[in-house]
Amino acid sequence: MRRALHDPSFVIGAVLILGVVACAVFAPALAPHEPGLATLRSRLATPFSATHVLGADAIGRDILSRIIFGARVSLTVGVVSVALAMLIGTLIGLVAGYFGGLLDTLLMRLADIQLSFPFILLAITVIAVIGPGMWKVIFVMALTQWVQYARIVRGQTLSLKEREFVQAASGLGASHARVMFQHILLNALTPVTVLATLGIANNILLEAGLTFLGLGVDPTIPSWGGMLADGRNYIERAWWVATFPGLAITVTVLGFNLLGDWLRDRLDPRTST
Amino acid sequence: MVAFLLRRAIQSLFVLVGITLFVSFTIRLSGDPAVAMFQGASAPTAEQLTTIRARLGTDRPFMEQYLAFLGSLLRGDLGTSFRTGAPVADAVAQRFPATVGLALTSLLVSLVIAIPLGVLAARRRGRPADFVVRVVSLVGLSFPNFWLGIMLILVFGVYLRWLPPSGYEGPASLVLPSLTLGLILASTTTRLVRSALLDVLGEQYVVTARAKGIREHRVVYRHALRTALIPVVTFVGLQIGGLIGGVVIVEQVFAWPGLGSLALNAISFRDYPMLQGTITVLAVFIAAINLVVDTSYALLDPRIRYA
Amino acid sequence: MKHTIIALLLALVISVAAAQPAGTLTIAQAQDPQSWDPIDTFFLAWGMVGSSIFDGLVHRNLDMEIGPGLATSWEWIGDDDDRLRFTLREGVTFHNGEPFNAEAVRFTFERLLGEEGAAGPQQANYTSIDHVEIVDDYTVDLVLGSPDPVLITKLAGYGAMIVPPGYVTEVEPETFNRSPVGTGPFKVVEYVPDDRLVLEANLDYFRGPPQVERVVFRFISEPSTRVAELQAGRVDVVQGVPISLAASVDRTAGVSIVPVGSPTVSSLRFNHCLAPTDDVLVRRALAHAIDREGIIEAILEGYGTPIASFQSSMSFGYDPDLAPYAYDPERAQALLAEAGVAPGSSIQVDFIGTDAIFREVAQAVASMLEAVGLQANLVTHETNTYYNDMVPNNRVGHLYFSGWGGWTLDFDNTAYLLYSTGQFWNPCFSNEEVDALLASQRATYDQAEREVALQRVAQLSHELLIDVPLYQHQNLWGVAERVQGFTAPADDRHDLTGVSLAN
Repeated sequence: MRRALHDPSFVIGAVLILGVVACAVFAPALAPHEPGLATLRSRLATPFSATHVLGADAIGRDILSRIIFGARVSLTVGVVSVALAMLIGTLIGLVAGYFGGLLDTLLMRLADIQLSFPFILLAITVIAVIGPGMWKVIFVMALTQWVQYARIVRGQTLSLKEREFVQAASGLGASHARVMFQHILLNALTPVTVLATLGIANNILLEAGLTFLGLGVDPTIPSWGGMLADGRNYIERAWWVATFPGLAITVTVLGFNLLGDWLRDRLDPRTST
Repeated sequence: MVAFLLRRAIQSLFVLVGITLFVSFTIRLSGDPAVAMFQGASAPTAEQLTTIRARLGTDRPFMEQYLAFLGSLLRGDLGTSFRTGAPVADAVAQRFPATVGLALTSLLVSLVIAIPLGVLAARRRGRPADFVVRVVSLVGLSFPNFWLGIMLILVFGVYLRWLPPSGYEGPASLVLPSLTLGLILASTTTRLVRSALLDVLGEQYVVTARAKGIREHRVVYRHALRTALIPVVTFVGLQIGGLIGGVVIVEQVFAWPGLGSLALNAISFRDYPMLQGTITVLAVFIAAINLVVDTSYALLDPRIRYA
Repeated sequence: MKHTIIALLLALVISVAAAQPAGTLTIAQAQDPQSWDPIDTFFLAWGMVGSSIFDGLVHRNLDMEIGPGLATSWEWIGDDDDRLRFTLREGVTFHNGEPFNAEAVRFTFERLLGEEGAAGPQQANYTSIDHVEIVDDYTVDLVLGSPDPVLITKLAGYGAMIVPPGYVTEVEPETFNRSPVGTGPFKVVEYVPDDRLVLEANLDYFRGPPQVERVVFRFISEPSTRVAELQAGRVDVVQGVPISLAASVDRTAGVSIVPVGSPTVSSLRFNHCLAPTDDVLVRRALAHAIDREGIIEAILEGYGTPIASFQSSMSFGYDPDLAPYAYDPERAQALLAEAGVAPGSSIQVDFIGTDAIFREVAQAVASMLEAVGLQANLVTHETNTYYNDMVPNNRVGHLYFSGWGGWTLDFDNTAYLLYSTGQFWNPCFSNEEVDALLASQRATYDQAEREVALQRVAQLSHELLIDVPLYQHQNLWGVAERVQGFTAPADDRHDLTGVSLAN
């Protein structure tokens, strides 16, 4: 752990993420204003003033407060979608890799279907049916992204189950479940964690893209993607409306990517020195 | 090799059935195309709706419609658009080059940026050049694509007037959209090239090559990079789906008349055949790319043999 | 002497040259309607282009006045005014050389009212026409099955555009969708879906040839990109400049913003089948809670006008004396208390998520509702789902967005479809007096009588608070300096015959 503190990737990444998490958790205490309060008089108020530190948006809402509350949406979308995808993908990958056979073939063909299906088109089709909204976006992301995890875990399982210590455990009469979860899963978690960290970053960006297409989270909930999409038309006269939420996205994504980088370097035995 | 290709092709067929089944089923939950024809602008009578449904064939049971679609698909016929009455295959064929051209150019842009930068970072591991490349690529990875597109339009299209801001008028109009997608993709690819190369540079045969006194430049480009490109190619293959997704958004920003806008329109008109056709063709394309990727392993890594 | 002759000759050459249409006018609009057949579309995006390709029997000019089109005159004949006789213009040909005559008129309307028309949104506008009778080659009667006081206006646009019988019969419908043929000032030369439609001047146009040689309509859905093309000097006219970009466009050298009052109005409708908005006190409270002026000033940046009934000031039946409910949050709170609505009660507002302006309006309204102690809950939908499912099946919340164009510029269009009992988009509201008034104004051609009835409907809609009308839109057009003689059309239907390009 002490060594981690000397790695700038870890330190910067952790500080950024902790900051964002703190915003999300303590949003009501940190935000100077009610994030949804539209005061038409402060429309496009300039930043760095006493009342609106980061300015106000087109309907006079305080941008700083919205960014602080927006951390909740971005983190929820990023973390929950990845957690779900990871859970589904890991289970499927584990089962497919461990038992092999027809089940494996079926599950992997299902994975191929997913991989040949552009995420955005699937999202649009599904959202046309179920309607937009934060939880629906999360659902669609999980539905499309479990494959990446399934593939990795399956690959890991395939190679791990031939290794001595797993063979030994089976030989000693450990149940399938015990072998899968205790011996294989723990070892397969490394690459999954790396992928998940990067996946969170990616999904925060995807949420912004979907909101741009009008298929994202509800516009009343302050979300960075929504603020960026709404602010894009003000860029020439009120740069702060889009720039600060854009920065928030960049900072958070950067934080997760740095952590992911560090994790990969740490956990991957080949690159650790 | 032939057996391998054959097996993969058969597997791809199943994938295709899966995708078309899913799309056909889902879009049929999204609303009645007969009602959609009235565009929310006039109220259809029940009688009108019955006539239209019969004409479009949407009154038949789902499996019957789906099997009919598969049947004509086997003959290379993607059906007729509900909205325009024109063959879907024509519309898709017209848009296909735009979308695929954009996707492949973006891929090319990303590789042209990523390989030299990745090599540079790997060779200067831990030094300032490495740090700069990693930070820049991380920042590049943290931009939503539509945002980058709008910024590029403002800078190069409006202020500098070097390039057309949008449209589909020849090579010049390809620059900004492919740069938008390419820059973002390059961020990931650079990181991948760097770490793959680092892996390889630590391996025995590279160490041996160095020990033999082969020049470092030659070691990197001749020996190590070739092996390091395997995970990069895999990654690129896996990215095609994501890249096409990015194309859909970027097409909107740049008024690029590709499959993305065709699909978006098809959804808003509930034009089932058009959506089915668009997605089927895209899926075939992505599956084909993945097949090419799998095959190209053999060319890059002689150790892999096909059982 | 010699010089004078040369000068005269030069002048002659120049004047001949000036009469020749010259230059390419490029117009960017958001949407490509995907099919150019007049009978299967109701998009404003079609209307923007359609009026340059086709003509109707009558013509509505840029001042929204009706005048002769392909017909030179018309009169009501028959015992009970059930027959409308048109004298047609002679010597007009379609772009493909087919002659325009009574047969073309008969064909157009039989197609519109027949099976082909039944598959599109246009037929419903013309069902009052029973059949068409040809008197002679250039005289034709529309025989009405039921009275239709707005028919003449409707003949000036959309479904009533005259199409060439020969061409439409010979080619596949998809060909007509893609390369339409009309009698209009421009003919279609190229269509690349979702990219561009290229038109060329029709030198034989019956009103005289247009002054530009080519018109290119480009389809650019992203508003900031449309505006960027204008600022980059590659597009001459841009439709739908977002209000947020208007100021920056106006600052750009060589381009300016041209606002034009539109017949489109935005309104929040009440769900009368859902508590608490089934209570008129609550509806009045909500009407007082919304700061229209504030919305117009701040969000629309002044590009809008407050309205008291669901129609624009251009609309027939508009009552200038009707004033909107004043913004009075205290009164709203008092009314809510009187109605027994507990503070913190939830009010759901439904709207279309892709409408950037209304998204801001809805959020401002949400804040205003919260300011009077309610909890606002915004729900967004996709356009198609919204108009074809949510609204008709009353699956919406307490308040829901409605934007209505009223292309006939007659309150009948909006009021009948939205207030009459049992109409498609009115699954809930019902009032006998309103029904009777709406039916009565449809049965008479006496415009004075109709106006009284429609104004009374407007008053009732205000008293009963059928909805909360918000504002009349102004459409913003971005126009390059080199464009001469361009008038932004209030109804989005361009008349480009008077437009020319300076060098």
